[in-house]
Amino acid sequence: MSANQAAQQTPGAAGQGTADDRGTTFRAVEGGNQMQSGEKLLVEAYAFIWIVVLVFVASMFRRQRRLDRRIDTLETALQKARAKSAGE
Amino acid sequence: MATSEALTAGTKVETSASRSRGDVGFYTVLALCAAAFLISIHVIFFKAPVESTMGIVQKIFYFHVPIAYSMYVGAAVCFLGSAGYLARGTRGWDALARAGAECAVAMGVLVLVTGALWGAKAWGVYWTWDPRLTTALLSVLIYVAYVVLRAFAGDGDSERKFAAALGVLGAANLPIIHYSVQKWGGNHPKVITSGGGGLKHPDMKLALMLGFLTFTLLAVVLIWTRVRIELAAARLGEAEEEALELGVGEE
Repeated sequence: MSANQAAQQTPGAAGQGTADDRGTTFRAVEGGNQMQSGEKLLVEAYAFIWIVVLVFVASMFRRQRRLDRRIDTLETALQKARAKSAGE
Repeated sequence: MATSEALTAGTKVETSASRSRGDVGFYTVLALCAAAFLISIHVIFFKAPVESTMGIVQKIFYFHVPIAYSMYVGAAVCFLGSAGYLARGTRGWDALARAGAECAVAMGVLVLVTGALWGAKAWGVYWTWDPRLTTALLSVLIYVAYVVLRAFAGDGDSERKFAAALGVLGAANLPIIHYSVQKWGGNHPKVITSGGGGLKHPDMKLALMLGFLTFTLLAVVLIWTRVRIELAAARLGEAEEEALELGVGEE
C-alpha cells in the first residue's frame, strides 16, 4: 500500500472523519484562540520589527550620504574660492 | 588677520577632533546594539521557555514591552528637546526634539503592530478600544502630527516653536498610557506592572531584561543618527551661506 493510499484511509489530523468526509465537508476549528497560528503571528511580528528598523536606518543612511556629498562639494568649492581670494 | 585665521583653523581642528570622538562613541553604541540584538534573539528563541497557556506567541512580549518603553524614551527626548528649544531657541535642542519624535513614531508603530498580532491570538481580534490601546494610539498620532508638521510646514522659527509646543504637550499623554490600565481596567495584561504576577522563570526575566537593553540601545542609535543628520544639515546651511557670500556656485 502506498503512503498516499494509507493517508486516504486514516482519519484526518484533527480526528474528524475519513478522507471522504474531508472531501465533502469543511468544518471550522472552534474557539477564537485556534483561529490563528501562534508561530505565524510570532514570525510576522518579528519580521515587521526588522522591516521597520531597516527602513528607518536605510532612510537615515541615504539622507546622511546625500548631505555629506553636498557638504564635500561645497567645501571643495569654498577652499578653491578662499585660495583664489588669498592669492589676489 | 593671521590671528583670526589661526583661530578659525583651531576651531576647525577642534570641531573635527570632537566629531571623530563622536564617531567612535556612535559606532561603539551601534556595535553594542547589534550584539545585544543577537544575544536577545538567542535567549528569546532558544533559552526562554514557552509559556504554558498562550504558547509560543507569548514570545512577542519580550520585544513588545521594551519597544513600548523605547517609545517613551523617544517621546521623553522630544519633550526635553522641545522644552530646551522653547527656553533657549538653539538648533541643537530642536534637532534633539525632532529626533525624539521620529524615534517615538517608529517605536509607536512597532508597538501597535506587535500588540495587534499578540491580540489576534490572545483575544481573537487584532484591535479593541481598550484604554491602553486607545491612549497609545493617540500618542502615536500626536508624534505623527509632529513629524508631518516638520516635514511639510517649512523650517522657520514660528514652525519650530509650534512643533516644540506640540512636543511638550504631547508628553502629557505618556503617564495616561501608563496608568490607564490601573485607572480604567480593560483587557490589556498587567504582568510586570503593579498587581501583576510577574514572570515565573529566570530565563523569561533574562529575556525581558535583554529586550529592554537592546531597545534602549536601538533608541539611542536612532536618536543619535537623526541628530547627526540635523547637525550635518546645519553645517551644509553654513557652507551654503559662505558660498553665497563668496559668490561660489556648486560645480
